[in-house]
Amino acid sequence: MTRVLLAAIASLTVAAPGSAQQDPDLNDPKLIAAGHQLFLEKQCAHCHGEDGRGGVNLARRNLDPAGVFQSITDGREKNGIRMPSWRDVLTNDEIWQATAYVMSISGHAE
Amino acid sequence: MRKIFAICVGLAGLFCTATAGFAADPGTEDPNNWPQYHRTANAWRYSPLDQINKDNVSRLSVAWIAHGGDLTMGIQETPLAIDGVIYSITSGNRVAALDGKTGQQIWSYEPRLNPLTKKILFAPYSRGVAVGHGMVFIGTVDGRGIALDQKTGKERWQVQLTDLADCHGCNFTSPPVVAGDMLTFGSTAGELATQGKIFGVEAATGRKVWEFNTIKQDPKSWPGESGKYGGGGAWMPGTYDAETDTVYYGTGNPGKDFVNAEREGDNLYTDSVLALDPKTGSLKWYRQEIRQDVWDFDSPYEIMLFRKDGKNLVVHLNKSGFVFVLDKANGNIENVWPISDLKNFVKDIDKETGELIGRVELPMNEETLICPSTFGARSWNSGAYNPKTGLWYNNVLDFCGYLKPVAQKVDPKDYGTGHTGSNDFGRLVLAPDGRKPGRLDARDPFTGERKWTYEMDVPGFASVLTTGGGLVFNGDPLGILRAFDAETGKQIWSFNTGSGMRSGIISYAVDGEQYILVPSGWGSYAAILLPPLFPQLEKVPSASTLIAFKLAK
Repeated sequence: MTRVLLAAIASLTVAAPGSAQQDPDLNDPKLIAAGHQLFLEKQCAHCHGEDGRGGVNLARRNLDPAGVFQSITDGREKNGIRMPSWRDVLTNDEIWQATAYVMSISGHAE
Repeated sequence: MRKIFAICVGLAGLFCTATAGFAADPGTEDPNNWPQYHRTANAWRYSPLDQINKDNVSRLSVAWIAHGGDLTMGIQETPLAIDGVIYSITSGNRVAALDGKTGQQIWSYEPRLNPLTKKILFAPYSRGVAVGHGMVFIGTVDGRGIALDQKTGKERWQVQLTDLADCHGCNFTSPPVVAGDMLTFGSTAGELATQGKIFGVEAATGRKVWEFNTIKQDPKSWPGESGKYGGGGAWMPGTYDAETDTVYYGTGNPGKDFVNAEREGDNLYTDSVLALDPKTGSLKWYRQEIRQDVWDFDSPYEIMLFRKDGKNLVVHLNKSGFVFVLDKANGNIENVWPISDLKNFVKDIDKETGELIGRVELPMNEETLICPSTFGARSWNSGAYNPKTGLWYNNVLDFCGYLKPVAQKVDPKDYGTGHTGSNDFGRLVLAPDGRKPGRLDARDPFTGERKWTYEMDVPGFASVLTTGGGLVFNGDPLGILRAFDAETGKQIWSFNTGSGMRSGIISYAVDGEQYILVPSGWGSYAAILLPPLFPQLEKVPSASTLIAFKLAK
């Protein structure tokens, strides 16, 4: 029984958003391309612009992957504006793909 | 027209009381109050109060400031003022009653919202409350109607009206309409994979009596399965006309917004003005303004009522910028005029039939420049009509956008993605002719003849107020509140409110003193989408503030 419980806890830990064990290679071009596709399909470009230079500009920001993953998962409310939460709408793998694309377009000073 | 009595003592009406003896014009009972969303049933947003006027407006000073709570998506409300009490609603449906003289809170109420509201598109917008039958009524962003005791704020009843989880997050972002013993609630739906509804509810009990589907069950209107997620809805408050016991609503756009290939009918009752019986929800008449819309030019804006030359008229601005002057009895067209000449989505409109002439269709996977943009020729924030000047004051948006339809899977459980057939809502650009992107216009509401205009580098996105003191108040996204001479358009006063405005300015009076109440707090999708076109907006701080002004003593 205890073993089953520990296994369940372990699986929860592994599945937790932002877990270092789950961090994929965010420089993988396939991951970035899949993230780009999601970025368009889920209308992230609506607020951020396809190139990250939209109203909520990502290109100028220096972002960290765990923070991006968390924001996509749970949404974000700051400076009076809001991004919806994508938990259970996107899978963790898909959120990592989107994170990879966001990281690829962020941190570029204009 | 019955006359408003004002008692004045001292120089320049300095101590004019703000009390009026009679009502003037339809629904202007008790000029001291702002008792419903547009103040009166005619939706004029006109306060007859005249203590604050052209001669003394420069002496306005802050009487009190109140904080509205959560800042998320800004403050979008038009507060109400009844017998010296302010009824306010802010982000996340937080309701408060405040003392109109001091801003002190009398009570507050905050519903526990369905966690799903974190995922949906249209939250946590809260644009107003309705008051009647000793209760304060709200429509919530999780699809409920709630009634509170007007004196205590205690909950009296609540009813779940929309099926939030199964309607792509369709909800209420605006207040219900008090229509006699009934309340009517209009749901969001225009960018959602659902069928938008209007609900009729007993005011006393919260019992749902009827629902009206804004998607007509008619294969000619919606071929095949196209109506299943047709959108529509009615996301702004309607107008209740007690004289005919009719509630008028303007409806939202069809979906997917920018793709019409699968819905090659007229797509009723989207982009329409509806006249409904509030007791039964039965349709008395409709007037569709945009047939088979592909530009997101819906019809939810204020429905104004007039009596002119013996005729009872409806004046209604469609988001495209076409103003429809209709016979109130049957919706027949009396005139159509454009609020701006910046429009290329059609060549023209037939002023007798309303038929669009020379439509510009949107090819898939290509950008097409459309004017005006998806923000419309004006935003949802209302204009104001002053019966003394005969002028209707509106913030005009004179900019364009590139629209690019794309194939899109339909998934009502994908709550954060709009059912639009696009990757975005259009890449905004300034007008090709280089004109200023915004202005405040004063026009005849029946003919469109323009009396004056005030141009702006950043357009206005707040509702306008006009008063019996011959003034027009307008707020801008940078936070500047301005007062204009209603006759001439001359700016005669301004004040920096500290944040941008997307809300409704009102006027009321308590104990003989007139107040101008200004909600200030930049937010909403405008705050997200406009900065690439208007970089000035990048640094506008968020807020949720009610600022009350009165004349300095």
